[in-house]
Amino acid sequence: MTKPTQRIADLPAYLSHELRNALACIHQFGNILVDGLAGKLTGEQREYVSIILENASKIRSVLDTALDGVAPAASKIRTKI
Amino acid sequence: MPNKKILIVDDDRDVQQGMNLRLKANQYDTCLAGDAFSGVAEARRSEPDLILLDLGMPAGGGFLVMERLKMIPSLAVIPVIVVSARHGLENQKRALESGAKAFLQKPVDDDQLLAVIRQTLGEPARMKKPALCNQGVV
Repeated sequence: MTKPTQRIADLPAYLSHELRNALACIHQFGNILVDGLAGKLTGEQREYVSIILENASKIRSVLDTALDGVAPAASKIRTKI
Repeated sequence: MPNKKILIVDDDRDVQQGMNLRLKANQYDTCLAGDAFSGVAEARRSEPDLILLDLGMPAGGGFLVMERLKMIPSLAVIPVIVVSARHGLENQKRALESGAKAFLQKPVDDDQLLAVIRQTLGEPARMKKPALCNQGVV
């Protein structure tokens, strides 16, 4: 497999690993803050953290859709070569 | 009754810390490992009630950890829940075939993670999340 082709084939796995771990951290620590496990937040602070969490969920949704679309194609590239 | 002990095996320190905080806030004791090799070693040392296992890690990865655990009779009985950033049904299928009780994809909803842990440990369902508290969790 040529290097560029290998990169294309590996891209979904790489993106999934890197972005999902980063999103996991945003969700985990955002919820830790919202749940008051690191101290009580003001109403305004809770609202801002909730906005962060909502947008992290949007990114997750986009990532799921994108990876569902490209992962089978990447798998085919790997199989062909 | 003593708290149940959960071993978190994940090479991402931030993910590890987040899970650790959440589990401690829900009355679980925890122990940590950051790669496949130390995951097996820590399982031997601490004999946890359950293992939360990442798949993509240095020194072999999660599948190797499950293989090694199976070879040690005292550890083979410990239930494993895979919590992975890997995409696709292939990994889920392989994890379950390798003996995992459940496969959860990151980012995992806290309620879902706790529900699966309780179900795996045979504990009754509790309220979704601990009540708001002012003190930090250590």
